[in-house]
Amino acid sequence: MSKLVDIENLRIAFRTDEGGWKEAVRGVSFSLGREKLGIVGESGSGKSLTGRALLGVLPSYAKMSADKLSFDGIDLTSASPRLRRSLRGGRMGMILQDPKFSLNPVMRVDEQIIEAIRIGDRRMSRRDATKRAIETLEQVHIREPARVASLYPNELSGGMGQRVMIAMMLVREPDLLIADEPTSALDVTVRTQVMSILDELVTRRGMGLIFISHDLKLVSKFCDRVIVMYAGRIVETIAADRLHEATHPYTQGLLSCMPTVDGPLEPLPILQREASWA
Amino acid sequence: MSETMIGVDNLTVRYGDNSVVKNCSFAVHEGESFGLVGESGSGKSTILRAIVGLVSDWSGSITVAGLDPHKTGRKQLARTVQMVFQDPYASLHPRYVIGHQIAEPMIINRIDNPQRRTAELLDLIGLPAAFQFRYPHELSGGQRQRVAIARALALSPRILLLDEPTSALDVSIQAEILNLLNRLRQELNLTFIIVSHDLAVVSYMCERLMVMRNAETVEILTRNQLRSGDISSAYTRSLLAAA
Repeated sequence: MSKLVDIENLRIAFRTDEGGWKEAVRGVSFSLGREKLGIVGESGSGKSLTGRALLGVLPSYAKMSADKLSFDGIDLTSASPRLRRSLRGGRMGMILQDPKFSLNPVMRVDEQIIEAIRIGDRRMSRRDATKRAIETLEQVHIREPARVASLYPNELSGGMGQRVMIAMMLVREPDLLIADEPTSALDVTVRTQVMSILDELVTRRGMGLIFISHDLKLVSKFCDRVIVMYAGRIVETIAADRLHEATHPYTQGLLSCMPTVDGPLEPLPILQREASWA
Repeated sequence: MSETMIGVDNLTVRYGDNSVVKNCSFAVHEGESFGLVGESGSGKSTILRAIVGLVSDWSGSITVAGLDPHKTGRKQLARTVQMVFQDPYASLHPRYVIGHQIAEPMIINRIDNPQRRTAELLDLIGLPAAFQFRYPHELSGGQRQRVAIARALALSPRILLLDEPTSALDVSIQAEILNLLNRLRQELNLTFIIVSHDLAVVSYMCERLMVMRNAETVEILTRNQLRSGDISSAYTRSLLAAA
């Protein structure tokens, strides 16, 4: 299996008020083939920053260094801004958490998807692009895609908005998809649907997927491998189907603090953080 | 058991020609925790908004601790029923310190000594009193949701309506907030309606639940029925399978 992504010793730091640097990602290394990789951790664990570093959309005031950061053989640390721009959206796509902030509020849904298509393929006619946009909406299980295509984002529910976002990313059929909490705003039933769409696409196209989430169970259901991050480091990497064998107390804590439909009604165990994990 | 705290009978809410809640009826007893489950757009949140008076264009009947939200003044309604919203980042004023936000409903309602009560409320929800001088951006998501709960409790309401109270939070923080809500319900004898799309959360928190779909009631279940699989609708089963 060829390596689609190879990261070694990735570090991302931000300036503190005192003028020093505080590392938010501290030496993360992993590689990704054409597979589904989950990155799990709490807010602030550095999981989203890792995804953003790969895409090259870190804020300008962040300081990033890596011994190796490559995508399909392209060294991203030395790639020109022009090359990186052409990778983004085309060969690498990103789905963000909240459709409310990621869709353009003053553009109709179809216009936004058509824009994505035509940036990639300027020769495609408007009519074909429109047809393609509606087909893609259908692929993400939107009922009445033609009607939805003419709506503005504020007329969509959260679940529909997120599916539109996914449609926008899928329409370019990227090699690598970074999904940052793509289903956190969705209902369970829609979530399963969206995940199976992603799953199908990734498998059919042989894409790589990095699925960033705080929901360990969801991640383990859909990914091949799971990386657990805590305070900017990888604390554990496990095969998704062996999650119950997780050895790190943080991973175990994350698993046990979730209520279940038929679980006990006593107070839920609270994750006790230990300084030695960091 | 105890008296009915919230009675909703044949509630219909229309936005234009579109019915977002159709003929919904249910009753919640005093001290009970009642769950509303369903997909986005099924009308769960709209029911809460009608009960708390944020939506006024509805037909049918609602009684909240014996009051009719249509005929009750805002202040009196606010002292009876309060709402906690999903997103603690959006529901707190970014430029007010925490103490001010918690005290504001008490100032509006001319309650004596809001400062002392604010400190008590912070203690109740498990934050240090010094937090009243902080701004929302200095707090984590879980801490903000605690503040939103404290503000909802400021007027000592008998009912809390919780609209997806933990879905914007990490699972580890969710456990803390759910434990806090359960403790508060016991200590203050509160009545809850919890809207959630997470059946696991509802099964953990609520004695009974109503499943909704496309603005209509699918069925009302007890926790035991849910847990033993005594479910009549295929839709509820599919929700359960997805959970």
